[in-house]
Amino acid sequence: MILLAALVVSIVFAAGTYLLLQRDLTRVVVGIILISNSSVLFIIASGLMQGGAPIYPLASGRPDVASDPLVQAMALTALVIGFGVAALLLAMIYRLYAAYGNVDAEEIAVAEMREAEALDQLDESPEIEEIPAEEQDADPDERATTVKPLRTR
Amino acid sequence: MTDSSTNHVLVVLPVAIPWVLAAVLALLNGRRRWIGLLAAAGLGTCFASLVWLATSVLREGTVTTIAGGWTEGAGILLRADALGVIFALVSVAVILIALLYEISLGVRWRLFPALLLLITAGLNGLFLAGDAFNFYVFFEIAMTASFILTGYREEDHQMRAAFIFAVVNLLGSVIFLAGIAALYTITGSLDMTVITARAQLLDPGGVIIIGAAIFAAFCLKLGLFPFHFWLPAVYVGSHAAVAAILSGALANIGSYGLLRFGAGILPRELKLGSGAVLILGTMSIVYGALQAVSRRNTSEVLAYSAIGQVGYVILALGIGGPVGYTAAILYSVVNALNKGVLFLAAGLRGPLVSVAFAIGAFSVAGVPPAAGFLGKLAVFKAGIAADTLAVSLALVALIFLGGALSFLYSFQIYQRRFMASNDKVEPSPLAARIVVTGLATLLLIVGIFPEPLVLFSETAAGVLTGARP
Repeated sequence: MILLAALVVSIVFAAGTYLLLQRDLTRVVVGIILISNSSVLFIIASGLMQGGAPIYPLASGRPDVASDPLVQAMALTALVIGFGVAALLLAMIYRLYAAYGNVDAEEIAVAEMREAEALDQLDESPEIEEIPAEEQDADPDERATTVKPLRTR
Repeated sequence: MTDSSTNHVLVVLPVAIPWVLAAVLALLNGRRRWIGLLAAAGLGTCFASLVWLATSVLREGTVTTIAGGWTEGAGILLRADALGVIFALVSVAVILIALLYEISLGVRWRLFPALLLLITAGLNGLFLAGDAFNFYVFFEIAMTASFILTGYREEDHQMRAAFIFAVVNLLGSVIFLAGIAALYTITGSLDMTVITARAQLLDPGGVIIIGAAIFAAFCLKLGLFPFHFWLPAVYVGSHAAVAAILSGALANIGSYGLLRFGAGILPRELKLGSGAVLILGTMSIVYGALQAVSRRNTSEVLAYSAIGQVGYVILALGIGGPVGYTAAILYSVVNALNKGVLFLAAGLRGPLVSVAFAIGAFSVAGVPPAAGFLGKLAVFKAGIAADTLAVSLALVALIFLGGALSFLYSFQIYQRRFMASNDKVEPSPLAARIVVTGLATLLLIVGIFPEPLVLFSETAAGVLTGARP
């Protein structure tokens, strides 16, 4: 049973890691979800025992054959944390999509580098982040999809 | 001995004040000045409650309480000892100063003050946690709020850096959670004192894998050398206040976690792995310093400087013993203040700012009378106290080399930003400049009157070695 649990945890973790290294950012988020769920499985695996429900009055009358409730509580907490964090990551991806028009990690990096280079041609004051005049001369194909930053504050 | 109800209030207050205030302020418009100042007042009250807690801890030893009034062994333990309190004090101080700085420059998000309060609540919760899983929960609270904080940029370019930060730190959190679950599996408890007692009875071969996993998770959080790749991407282009909070408050989670879980809970495994820890610290110092010297952009130099500085903490941790732990704690505290001054001053212009930045630069280099000298001195002492003569010589030479390189890159930044005369650039708001100068003055004061901080660090290290209850 423990071997089976270990195999499942490792397979899920491996799948999550493979997805984490992909270009498409939605797959990266799915990878993170898989990885956090693999840790939840790991938590559950630390309480693998046959026993009755740990609720009074106990079915068998003996407390040492009840399942471990602490493991279940930890797993629930970890699941909720994973859910919240996954929602946050998806919101971030949506923000990136609204800014760049796609969710491909490489293309976003290229677009960002272009913007950073254009900003570097300004005076040396990186805190004043305005869109410089040089950016409007950039390649119109790429620029057309890069919309103005989202003003939904 | 204070009675249990006072204990309960003492330990819960630093977590409850920012949490409740965050819930209230999240509904209001944080861009307005008075709401920002209300949040700052809340942080000030939280700081005062921590000072009260600190006096109680230093006078009477560790203050513990069980949440919800449950019996011992059944409830979640909250424990305030000198180690947790010193980290909480410095983290709240840095967050408070960063908030005042941002208010004087103009807050851009409605949620910004509430976010900072949530980070404070999470940080205080984890510094005062006596239960491993509770530590993890507050760790996640602080980290989730910080993921949102790294997105605090004017334009949406650089949002990718926030995403990278989130993904990498989540990976660290998952590894840490797996480590906690494994500790539960082998010791059968989540209470830190119980885990410490039971882990010593087990075979070190199995426990060291768990120790390695937890070590990796916290090093990822700190930005130590092999796990540093996310740091420059996140710091470059971020606002000064956000960078100051990331390096001055959130990095403390890593230092505290290594001290608490490494030196406190699994000291035998830390001793077994001390060679690897020393090597990683060395590589981090050298890599950070060399990269910092070769960069041009101010934020990049400071980011690599952060990577280098945490190498000193790891070095002191690897040396171990009361001298080593004192050095690690002292260096973490001083480093948090240094990074606060440097990042905040690098974002401003005007007459007082260059003085503040120079003080911060002296502090990073370890030149008296700035507080950084204390940290370097403590690490030197720890280096001399290492086991063999060869190791001692190598460590002392390394620390000296790191100090020299940090002097070099700090003044490279100073030269580039503050020495070139820039008449057409207007000075930043006076309030922000005063805030930064105040923090720099604090560095000077700590450097000139070092005894309180050194005594506090020694008490905190005594908690780890078991000298004091």
